[in-house]
Amino acid sequence: MTIGDTPLQQAVTEELANPTDEHQPFEERLEHALEDENMHRALERFAPSWRASRQAVFATEEADYGRDYSFAQMRSQLHKAKDYAIEHQEELLAQFKANAQAAGAIIYEARTAEDVNRYIYELCKRKGIDLVVKSKTMVSEETELNYYLEERGIKPVETDLGEWVAQLAHQRPSHMVMPIIHMTREQVGAILSENLGREISRENVAEQVAVIRVEHRKSFLNAGMGISGANALIAEGGTVMMVTNEGNGRLVTSLPPVHVVLAGYDKLIGTFAEAMTQLRLLARSATAQSITSYTTFITGPATPDKEMHIVLVDNGRSAMRADPRFKEALRCIRCAACANVCPPYQQVGGHAFGYIYSGAIGLVVTPFHHGIDAGAGPQSLCVSCNACETVCPVEIPLPSLILDVRHRTMEAKGLPWIKKLIFGLMARPRLFGLFTRLASIGQLPLTWGSKYIRSRSFGVLSKLPVMSTLAELARWRSLPAFAARPLRDRVKTAQEPDTKPTMTVVYFAGCMTDRLYPEMGEAVIKVLEACGVRVTYPRSQNCCGLPALNSGDRRDGMAMGQQTIATLERALQENKADYIISGSTSCVATIIQDYLRLFEDLKQHDWLRRAQALAEKTIDFTHFMDSVVLANRASLPLRTDYAPSTDIVTYHDSCQSCNCLGLREQARRIIRDGLGLELREMPQSDVCCGFGGSTSLEHPEVAERLLNNKLKNAESTGATVIVADNPGCLMHLRGGVDAGKRHVRVLHLAQLIAERV
Amino acid sequence: MDSPTSTKTDLFTRFQQRLSAVGGETHRVASLEAAASFIAAHPALATGELVIPPIGNGETALPPWGTLLPALRDRGIIIHRAESAASVADAPAGLSCAELAIAETGSVLLADNSLAARVVSMLTLTHFVIVSEHKLVPLLDEAGRLLQQLTKTGPDQRHYISFVTGPSRTADIERTLTIGVQGPKALCVLVVQDWEEAH
Repeated sequence: MTIGDTPLQQAVTEELANPTDEHQPFEERLEHALEDENMHRALERFAPSWRASRQAVFATEEADYGRDYSFAQMRSQLHKAKDYAIEHQEELLAQFKANAQAAGAIIYEARTAEDVNRYIYELCKRKGIDLVVKSKTMVSEETELNYYLEERGIKPVETDLGEWVAQLAHQRPSHMVMPIIHMTREQVGAILSENLGREISRENVAEQVAVIRVEHRKSFLNAGMGISGANALIAEGGTVMMVTNEGNGRLVTSLPPVHVVLAGYDKLIGTFAEAMTQLRLLARSATAQSITSYTTFITGPATPDKEMHIVLVDNGRSAMRADPRFKEALRCIRCAACANVCPPYQQVGGHAFGYIYSGAIGLVVTPFHHGIDAGAGPQSLCVSCNACETVCPVEIPLPSLILDVRHRTMEAKGLPWIKKLIFGLMARPRLFGLFTRLASIGQLPLTWGSKYIRSRSFGVLSKLPVMSTLAELARWRSLPAFAARPLRDRVKTAQEPDTKPTMTVVYFAGCMTDRLYPEMGEAVIKVLEACGVRVTYPRSQNCCGLPALNSGDRRDGMAMGQQTIATLERALQENKADYIISGSTSCVATIIQDYLRLFEDLKQHDWLRRAQALAEKTIDFTHFMDSVVLANRASLPLRTDYAPSTDIVTYHDSCQSCNCLGLREQARRIIRDGLGLELREMPQSDVCCGFGGSTSLEHPEVAERLLNNKLKNAESTGATVIVADNPGCLMHLRGGVDAGKRHVRVLHLAQLIAERV
Repeated sequence: MDSPTSTKTDLFTRFQQRLSAVGGETHRVASLEAAASFIAAHPALATGELVIPPIGNGETALPPWGTLLPALRDRGIIIHRAESAASVADAPAGLSCAELAIAETGSVLLADNSLAARVVSMLTLTHFVIVSEHKLVPLLDEAGRLLQQLTKTGPDQRHYISFVTGPSRTADIERTLTIGVQGPKALCVLVVQDWEEAH
């Protein structure tokens, strides 16, 4: 039955005109995603509520059952259990197979996606099956099983509600747990109406669900085969564990005479006890439920007339397992928490942020399942905010694995010329210094002597090729101007405080503070000195290498890392300094975390040892003020004429501050208790501002949206000052405030203090 | 130190809290007769019909069915033993017997091998579950231990075990929670205090 050429038909056609398919090039998928207002509005609504409910469910369980049931404790347990399973895969596999076979299951081990698809197709053919019902299996998405079967005349029907709607619309799930989070109810209604040949409500979700129930009931009763995924393969029972909320999983695995389980080897786990920990973490991480509605444990066919096949899938997993870094990604339990917490994911959704597997884990595993080309575009969207690592229930070091992917992508495809040029320049300190000095003069036609390069300053220049790009970038965020006098010209090598120094520190400014915001550096020095700290500034310091490392350029990054280590070691020794301090939490995270991983990876053991020694001495300004300075003195040395001003402060948790260095309360204590200022919390204070290193240059649309959200959240507090402790965020926020002509000051924590001491 | 009775009460309260949080109904009843009365009077039995698993003749005399079935029949309920999926599909009410209830999550553990028994919990509109209070445990960890036993190779091996926690649900469309997608639209668990075990 057709609806005919009615307005309805037209509406449907329009709504379905842009199906997203991973086979589209990344750029097209991204463009489509950026145009999809509904999607990012839905994701932006979802993210904060998911975060709050997730936090609440873990907190409740810990309050009720004690520390053993805390998120931290359970994830460390599951991490260990999964690591054990990965290390002892052969042993667990043998045990699983023996138990499952003893219970009557048939096991097939598939090396490639093609092996999986062919096995299932041949099984259908042998048994004369032409209708297959499926409950959620990401592995079948991975192998593109539906397409394979359809081409050969077998009809696969997805029975997970969202997956089915996506299937009808010829789309893929955009999220591992909520497959059609990118669709509105109107779109769902249109898709159902089009496919069922009758008008289904565009408004009433309950009616849409009821329709799906009726449609699927027929398929369940008539299908010859049910295909399901698995959440775990429990070795000690030979048992397949599977969770669903809708109840479709139990029908798929019970009603048709043949049941096929598709599961990667990574689903193996040793014991039921471990599986219980996985259940707790999975439901709580995925949907903030204590447990999903249905959890099923299948051990061989339940009745004599039933056949159960378990297809174990490699498809790149053994290559991951052989890689000392990437084998950690095999711990993944597919909860999608890393997507839910990801700021760029919220802007573009899973069709662009990933390739079949989406979210942070998608960026990591895609090269193994679908090749480096498939992963090249999506990985560029990561802003390295590290939020994913904080919520991962199996402690996968996602941010650094994404950087590894980025590095491998760069190795394969080469660095964009502009980055090659910039990083090459930055790795040569003298040339870099000369360049920034020249630039500080050369930029005058654009800055007019101000601290910003504004879009309107470009005038006719914006017609020129490179200039037009710059002008567009400056439209929503004024770009910073190079300081006429960098910090290195402004400070003496060693600053003697007025009083007898209590300790000596080496100050590492970071290149952004040095060249763009010397006033932030001066503020750090002023505050430290006022607190009786002797500050030394080694003039040979350069960039720590973070921009290069974050772009996958290890060669230049390593060179800058080695320079930094050598400079800081020497300065520590010459000045008999107690600490290395930096007002840039990004630089600190690079020095104390990234260097270790880099030199370990490069097997440069001598540099690794030196980096470790340096890491022990390095501390960020905020931690230092809170735990060293204020721990040793009663209060800040505030000006005698200081009266708490009318400033109202809101604090932005920079990603590296909160996600890498664990800063949360420290800056707030200083602002509130140390300075006596009113502090107002902004919503989502710990969500990335969108700077994300070079991501803001590569994907300005994403960076612009994240920045606008951040500034909107900050403004909603009525604060007069936004404070952060990382120059990258400050640059981004200042640029946004300037371009949007907003009335709020953006200061480094040190500047806020410096105004008052 | 808590007395055993108050501990049981605490456990039931927790179980009830968790299950009602996900839209399930649960009551603590004194005996199997009380359970039968409750079910017979429930609005889901407006038609007076109830589907139960296809229990063998040997079981009809044993607890709980030995007590339940006559009590239900006395209250005018017509009992159907489940045969096939099609015959059970969208029956107004079904009753199953759980092997465990888990307070931590508000779940019941069902472990029938027979397909006809399982579809009672999958395809009826309102699903009643009875479970002995002795089998109400605090944590999933106990369920893990039971799973270990039930899946041991041998003639008594249970091939298909489910934790059921509330009615079927979805939030796939615009995150709007809708109850009753594929499975039952309502779940009602009766925790029976005084239940003599068969063994």
